[in-house]
Amino acid sequence: MAMERIPCTGCSLLCDDVLIGTDGIFIDKIYGACLKGKERFNQPIAENRLTSPMIRKNGKLENVSWDVALEKIKQILANSSRPLLYGFSTSSCEAQLKGIKLAKKINGFIDSNSIICQGKVLNVAKEIGMTLTTLAEVINKTDLIILWGSNAAASIPRLLNKILFSRGKFRMTGREIKTIIIIDPVKTASFGVMQLRDVALHIEHGKDLELIRVLKEECCKKDSVLEKSVAGIDKEELNRLLLNLVGAENGVIFVGQGILRTHSDDNIIKELLELVQLINSRQEKGRMSLALLGGHYNMIGFEQVALSITGKNHSLQFSDNNLIETKDTIINKIEKDDFDCSIIVGTDPISHFPFSLSKNMASKPIICIDNRKSATSDIADVILPSAITGIECEGLAYRFDHVPMQLKKVLDPPSGIPTDEEVLNQIIQKLDVS
Amino acid sequence: MPMKMIVNIVRMVDHDQAKEFAFGDEKSLKENLGIGFINPSDFEKLGLVKSLRIKLSNSFGDIIIEQEQDENVPEGTVLMPVSIWSNQITGVEKDEIQYKNIEVEVEATRDPVPEYKDLILKIKEK
Amino acid sequence: MELYKYLPQTNCKKCGKPTCMSFALELLQGKVKISDCTPLIEEVKYKEKYEALKELLGGEGGKEKQLHIEIDEDLCDGCGICVTACPVNARYCPPTLSGKAPDVPHDKHQLFEVKDGKCVLLNLEHCRRLEAGGRERECRVCEIYCPREAIEIIYI
Repeated sequence: MAMERIPCTGCSLLCDDVLIGTDGIFIDKIYGACLKGKERFNQPIAENRLTSPMIRKNGKLENVSWDVALEKIKQILANSSRPLLYGFSTSSCEAQLKGIKLAKKINGFIDSNSIICQGKVLNVAKEIGMTLTTLAEVINKTDLIILWGSNAAASIPRLLNKILFSRGKFRMTGREIKTIIIIDPVKTASFGVMQLRDVALHIEHGKDLELIRVLKEECCKKDSVLEKSVAGIDKEELNRLLLNLVGAENGVIFVGQGILRTHSDDNIIKELLELVQLINSRQEKGRMSLALLGGHYNMIGFEQVALSITGKNHSLQFSDNNLIETKDTIINKIEKDDFDCSIIVGTDPISHFPFSLSKNMASKPIICIDNRKSATSDIADVILPSAITGIECEGLAYRFDHVPMQLKKVLDPPSGIPTDEEVLNQIIQKLDVS
Repeated sequence: MPMKMIVNIVRMVDHDQAKEFAFGDEKSLKENLGIGFINPSDFEKLGLVKSLRIKLSNSFGDIIIEQEQDENVPEGTVLMPVSIWSNQITGVEKDEIQYKNIEVEVEATRDPVPEYKDLILKIKEK
Repeated sequence: MELYKYLPQTNCKKCGKPTCMSFALELLQGKVKISDCTPLIEEVKYKEKYEALKELLGGEGGKEKQLHIEIDEDLCDGCGICVTACPVNARYCPPTLSGKAPDVPHDKHQLFEVKDGKCVLLNLEHCRRLEAGGRERECRVCEIYCPREAIEIIYI
């Protein structure tokens, strides 16, 4: 049996080196994938797989035919003037394009998971610019890796393996030549890979902004030495951080949820981008860049698709089949109860959103398109099953570093189960028939 | 005696929903997601023993979860995996969902952790 | 130079080396055995040092202790850091140089591979602790860098 290297869709790292052996019906050999990837590849035969369209009747979900489910969706959408579309971060870019098309058709509001993840960074970056990097460059050139508010060892298990331990073209000795700095209030599993030379910074909760401001100030000075501790970090450690920041040939800051979610305003992102620019402008030989870490594998994809066809990377409001300006996001839309039904594609907002928002969502009809049971499908009114992108169908996805990757098909989906793209297409066609 | 603490909601590979849902049932979901990690010194301050649970409450709501000691967690902090259990105490502030630095009052309790089914029903009831 | 402390330090030359220091060096490289230092074994006053030295070198000379690398399956999350970091893997499996998973079927020298989301030990006999000489024999890369502390190198 031939083994094939295919991209893994377990997380946003999209490892393209995972070896899969299959007999056409099952995936029976998985080499190189982490636990998350393994679970992803086991999903086609998982117990919680959705295999049939379902409709809620008298409070209970019942299996129905596709036609009945589509008819029900048509009925829900006919009675709706302000539908919400949410998710799309575990679908291919083709499906995301169809999603936006559907939103345009039904005058809906469409948003992706990036709104609760790193979505706002690109917004800020539009104003002041951002230095991004790619995984290959990190492997081959980087000598300084900073994990800021991210526990990569637990959320993206293979990231440290790829960026820190790999031996690149200009970094032949691998781990020995690379320095890692972790800024986190909690001593997470990622701290386990540290050596004597590396710097572990236990910052106090919510003091990231303070640290960035001090760094910005000190980076401008020549031979700057800090005299007092900042944000609960010892001054000696801080000086080592500063020395590494201005001395690195090619540094990269991995921005995690810890820094993005701790502060509810955009200031922190702006200041972080400015810090990177400041270091770059003052450094003669090297450069500093950013990488954004997210969970779902195609979150960046939605931003790229939306950006390329509408000029806006998330929170698209359509009215009279045209895009209109809005400052709303999915969050305050739900909070204000400014919607009358929701279409959830491939995600689980009931598990992610606060209880008050979940309650608002549950009070309106929910249409769920997914391949697995989740808290959302448990309260949905109509469920349409779909194939698993990256295993049962092909598609394009964007890696965390904004590099597009072609996903491959390994298995056939269970009979009669279409891809996300086809499901959305069927809804659009159903609405066309009057 | 309630104690003021901070909740950070995180993702951990052992507690990831993707993994949990792959072979999880309602019972294992409750075991793996209805849990909080605290520093041993907080464990003592709260007067906890292993069989007791902790109740977190703030203006958004309250939730009872199992507790586990972890010396890597700083004092005054509770780490929780993202789930419908942690959602009971999160809320929206300045149009953003709060996942980190959520202020809560913590106290020891004997009451059980709510079941997955009950939480789903609670969402659905009018 | 931990080993030197446990030698007689008399430079008696009975082992055939000019000084105890050079004996210690060659002991570290595995070129000589502890039993080559006859005073250490014969004289009672060195007995403690001899025992300590045996412990340090993993019981060479007397009953050989076996090297084991134990992987805790419950802790391991298949991150593959051991696969990439292991110097033996790096030498024989080119994909691991850029952090990729090694080819399957595996090379006969390969030590670790990740299968079904868990790390598996393939052949211990090619471990640096058994095959290499000099300082490389002290290799503990997989144990040190495992973020979940799932790997343990032990002698039983």
